[in-house]
Parts: sequence; C-alpha cells; structure tokens
Amino acid sequence: MRNIYLIARREFLSYVATWGFWLSLLSVPFFMALGFGMPILIENSQPTRYYVLVDETGGRLEQAVYEQIDRSREDEAERVREAASEMLGNNPQVEAALDNSLQLEDDSYVRVDAGTTDLDELRPYLTGAAELETDEGPQPLFAAIYLSEPVPGRIEMAYWSTNLTDSRLRGDIRTALRDYMQLRYLVDNGVDPALIEAADDIAPVVRELNPERSADAAEVTQGERLPIFVGVGTAFGLWIVIFSVVNMLLTAMIEEKGNKVLEMMLASARHHEILVGKLLGVAAVSATLLLFWGALASIGGLAVQQVMAAADIPAADIMAALFDPALIFPAIGYFIVGYLMYGAVFLAIGSLCETIQDAQTLMSPMMLIMMMPLFLVMMAIDAPDSPIVAVASWVPLWTPFIMLVRLPQDIGMVDIVGTTLAMVATAVVVIWGAGVLFRMGALNQANQDTVKSWFQFGGKKKAAG
Amino acid sequence: MSETILALDGVSKTFSGKPAVRDVSFTVERGQITGFLGPNGAGKTTSLRMALGILTPDRGHVALFGGPPRPGALDRVGFLPEERGIYRKMKVIEVIVFFARLKGVRPAEARKRGLAMLEEFGLAEVAESKVKTLSKGMAQKVQIISTLVHEPEFIILDEPFSGLDPVNQYALEQVVRKQAEAGRTVLFSTHVMEHAERLCDKIVLIAKGRKAFDGTVAEALGEVPRRVTLEIVSDHDLADVLAGKGAVHRERQGEHDVWIVDLTPGVDAQDILKACVDANVKLTRFEPVRAHLHDAFVHLVGKDAAAPEAETA
Repeated sequence: MRNIYLIARREFLSYVATWGFWLSLLSVPFFMALGFGMPILIENSQPTRYYVLVDETGGRLEQAVYEQIDRSREDEAERVREAASEMLGNNPQVEAALDNSLQLEDDSYVRVDAGTTDLDELRPYLTGAAELETDEGPQPLFAAIYLSEPVPGRIEMAYWSTNLTDSRLRGDIRTALRDYMQLRYLVDNGVDPALIEAADDIAPVVRELNPERSADAAEVTQGERLPIFVGVGTAFGLWIVIFSVVNMLLTAMIEEKGNKVLEMMLASARHHEILVGKLLGVAAVSATLLLFWGALASIGGLAVQQVMAAADIPAADIMAALFDPALIFPAIGYFIVGYLMYGAVFLAIGSLCETIQDAQTLMSPMMLIMMMPLFLVMMAIDAPDSPIVAVASWVPLWTPFIMLVRLPQDIGMVDIVGTTLAMVATAVVVIWGAGVLFRMGALNQANQDTVKSWFQFGGKKKAAG
Repeated sequence: MSETILALDGVSKTFSGKPAVRDVSFTVERGQITGFLGPNGAGKTTSLRMALGILTPDRGHVALFGGPPRPGALDRVGFLPEERGIYRKMKVIEVIVFFARLKGVRPAEARKRGLAMLEEFGLAEVAESKVKTLSKGMAQKVQIISTLVHEPEFIILDEPFSGLDPVNQYALEQVVRKQAEAGRTVLFSTHVMEHAERLCDKIVLIAKGRKAFDGTVAEALGEVPRRVTLEIVSDHDLADVLAGKGAVHRERQGEHDVWIVDLTPGVDAQDILKACVDANVKLTRFEPVRAHLHDAFVHLVGKDAAAPEAETA
C-alpha cells in the first residue's frame, strides 16, 4: 500500500506541476464560456446600422412593413417560448423572463431621416464619402430602401447598400412585404382579416401521457424528460474525461519507458503496485479536474440565476436529475470501471512503446473502439430505444457510456444487471491482460511488434540478457 | 560463521522455448563483494531479476535474506539496473527522496541523507535542479545515490560500469569498496573482467545461461595453465630440455623466435629456470606470464562462449 500511495502521489504531483494541467483545467471553462459568449459578443459588437426608408406609396407600405416585422418578432418569441417550455417546463417566471427579453426593441438597425430622399444626394453617405449626424456622432449610411407599387398588386423594393454580406435588414423587409402581399391578396379575395388572424392562432392542444400510469397521473411532466438529457450529458462528460485522462496515462508511460525509469521502479515496487499507483494517481488528477469544473459550473449557474433574476431556471430540477441516486451512483461506477479498463489498456500500450510514434499503430484500433460510443450516444439522443443502442450497451467496452443514456428510460433489470456483470467481468480480464502486457513491456520482453505478431502468426517473447 | 544473503538453487528460466538461464546455483555471503561475470546475453540480468523476484524462475528456488524475495526483503536491497533512468522533470533531491521513501525511509530522514550523499558525491549545488539539466555523468551519480540512500544491507548492481567514462568507473569502484568497508554485501554483474579482478572477493562465471565457475579470483586464476616465455641464443631444443615439465612450442614474435611453455600442474617457473641452467641454455629472456581473469574466463567457458561478447576494459 505504501508503494501504491507513493507512486500515485508522485504521478498526481507530476501532472499538477505542469503547465499542461493548468491549461486543461482552465481551457475547458474558458472555451465553453467562449462558445456560449461568442455569438452574444459578435451580436453586441456589431455596429448600429443606419438606414433610410422611402415609401413612394405615401406611407402605406411602410406601415405594413413595420406591422409585419412586429408580428414576426412575436411569432419568433412564441417559438422560443415553446422550445424553452419543452426543455424547462411550464414555468410562469421563465415565460415572464422570456417575454421581457424577447420584446426588446431591435436597435441594431435604426431608421434615420437624412433630410433628403433623393438617391443621388444619399449616394455619398452610402459610399462612405460623407457621414450622417446621429446620436452616436457621425455615422455612414448602411442602406437606402425605396418601396413602390408601380402597378397595383406589384410591390417593388430597391435596396441600395455597399454592404453585400449583412442581409438581415433586407430579408426582414422582404419577408414583411411578402406577408403583407399575401394578406392583402386574401382580403382582396373576400377573406375577412379577423378570420385570418384567428386562423393564425389555431393550434392543437397536445398532451403527452404515459401509459404505465393511471389517467390522473398519466400526464408526462417536463421534468421527467430532464434525466434523459442529463444522462446524455453525463455520458458525453464521462467520455471526454476518460479519453483525456487515458491519453495522459499513455504519454506519461511512454516518457517513463523512454527514460528507463521503470527498471529503477521495479527494484522497489512490484508491477501491480506500479500499475495501480499510476492509475490512481491519474484518477486523482481527473477527480481534481472534475471537482474544479463542477464547482465552476455551479458558481456559473448561480451567477446566471442571479443575473437573470426574473428567470427561475429550474436549477433544482436539473440538480435533482443530475444527483439522482439512480444516475449518480451508476455514473460513478461506470466512470471507475471504464477508466480502469481503458486506463489499464493505455498503460500497457505505453509500456510496450519507446515513443509516441511506436504507439500510433496500437492506438488506432483503440481509438476506433473509443469513438464508437460517442456516435451511439449521439444516436441515442433521438432514438434512445433503438435496438442498435440496446445491443451496443452489451458491448462491455461501450457499456459505461451507453448505459448512462439508457438508464433513465426504465429499462429492464436484465439489461442493467447483465451489462454490468459483463462489463465488470471484462474489466477484470482486460486489467489482468494489461497487467501481463505491462509486465512484459516494462522488462523489455515485448514491444509493439510483439502485439502485432499475435494477430499474425502468434507471439514470441524476447528473452532478457 | 558467514551468513548467506542470497541463494539461487538450480534456477532456470526459459523465454518462448529459448533457455535464458539453466540450472544456476550460487550464493552471496554477507560482507563479500561478489562479481557476476559473463558475456552479454549470458543470462546475468535474468538471474538478477529472479534474485529480486521481478521474474519468477521456471524451476529452482531463490532465497533472499533466507526467504522468498518479498517486498519486505526488497527494502533491504539497493538495486541499480542495467537499463536505468530517473524522472527527468523532477528535482534531484525529490528523486532521491522518492526512491528512499519507496524503501521505507521517512521523508525528513530521506531528505537529510539525500543531501548528505549529494554533498559526498560533489553534487550539493544541483540538489534543487531538475534532473534534465544535469550532465550524463551527474545523472548517473544521482542514480547511484538513489540506489544507496536507504542504506541497504545488500547492493545489487547490474552492469554498473557500462556507459561510464574511465574517471567515473574509478569513482564507482571507490564507492563499491567504501560500501563493502561499511559492512555491506555487494553483488555486481559485469562483462568487464578487470573490474571484477580488482574488486571481488568471489566471482561467479556464467555463459550461455549456465554457471561455469564459482569461487575466489585466485581460484579462477589457478584454473588457467601458467605460462613462461623464453628466448635463447644457444642451439638447444627446449622441447627436449623441458620434457615432462609442460607443453612447449616455438613461435615467431616479430624478429625473434620465442619458446612458449604451458606448465604442467605442479611445475612452477623456477623449475623451468633450473632445468635451463642445468642444460647450459643461454637465456636472453625469461618471462613468467601472469594470468588474468579474462584468460581464466576464456579457459573456463571456451573461446566460443567467451567471444565475441567478452571484453576487457
């Protein structure tokens, strides 16, 4: 035990003392924040666009455009509200928060009065030769839009702008005009405008019911869906952690083999002590990463909640789903078994190789094996009851990831117990085999060619001197 | 009465049908310096790994401090393997403390001993430096310190002189002597006979996995036929003059004809000299040739087994 502790401690400290560890620790939240924040940042960093709108029909089209734009925004807000409701449940406070945020004026595009509607006089502002006086100071003119109806029923828009890529304003006005034209077409053909508006509001009432429960309690609540999403998220998280950690093990092992430290270690510790010590040391590293990221996520969640005071995101429901004993304990178990399986294999590969190039050929099949559950988990998001997913969960090397997605679906005990037993039995065999390989690799009795030869003509061990 | 520290009793080890060690038996007694000699690939490293329990023999038994080589016994052993290295990214003193702690030394004591040994080896100023900043010679000294820092009773060195320059080879010889003087038992393997000849109380010769000799250096040298080289200016046929005293033959060495006499057991160089004087042989050269361990090794295992791996420093 002393040697295992000392080896694990040394492994842990050797990682924690590296720049790479701190980069890993900080880069994940940094890039996640960047991923979430970048669209907002881009949105906010876009300069205000000033435009001139000239309605040559005397204001009829202009009024119609703005009415349609407002209506489109309301429709969009409704779609977001429905999507949020689907995800987070029917929460009045969430809806209030969404209403509040979705009804904000879009101030990215501001209509201005340039003092003229003549295109030739506006042209210098459009080309940047001159600037308009605005509340923000002198600004270029983004677009000049001319609306006309030369023939009854034929509406035209002339859109003048030097910006060829930002098409949002043009698109919004075009959509608004099309909606207006379609509405007018219906009205002109005798359809009552009130009828059209009423038709827009027609939608079915959908009730989702669970046949396993009695009528009163049959309705599926939104909170019931959360475990599935949490299961998928946990499976992805588990995959990312195991994948990054076993790579750490591999590179460290290769470095140790290359530096010929293993022989020195064998004078003091047995193979199994070195193997277990390394696995535990790196497990401690991953636990540190997970705890740090978890704490940061919790703080981030609280902060978001504080900032969005009106938005009562069902954090409690999410946390309850995440820390549900039916998920958290299997997740911990799957992490341990999955980590031990893959970690032992990668350590064995490392012990057979002097350089990372040596490891490439042995790594390729392992990488394929590791990538498969990632695709299957993605498939399980849409079809968690797919027979392919069910069968794949019986493949012991994939069980830790796929079962996390299947567990929230009330699968049978046969599946749970069967896959778990198969996984644990396989883990024991894999760890034993990896231990044998590690022993041979550490004593230079085998290398990557030995493993390759097993798949060709049967292996031959190399005698020590 | 001597105490047996290590005993190998009829141990054999085979890898994929190829025997690496065949029925090898020898003992290492407390306080002795024992040399484990043989050409590369003779089975020395495999034997030492079995001695430490790193490998399990296919046949035979190993007793370390009177019992199987269990972890408790390993704490009393300092082992410097042939393939050796240390953590390059760690500080020198941290490496030494780490290996000492693996042997059960308390952290504070390990640090104290490590610093003292660094001072003794002239490396005090690099104690807080990373190993990767050291020269190869300095790193090898740190490896030796890491092997000895827990003050082991039994020191096993596998090819300790390989890769060292002559200055460091001499320095390591001094370390081995000093450890022996401090009452520690030393077993080292080498294919360089001169080191063994200078250091060892006892040697074990191994070739092609089999033990060829086990005894003192003097006993090993005694196995080599003694030889006398003569040059004469008279017309005597020394084969007649020295009949019954040894195998005599004549060979050309440069511009001279020399007579070589391989002495019959029981005959010494003085008997040859007396016989020449009695026969009025006019001698211009009379040179008893001193045998070396390499000669003993070649004699004992045969030229085929000794060459081409057997080397001299």
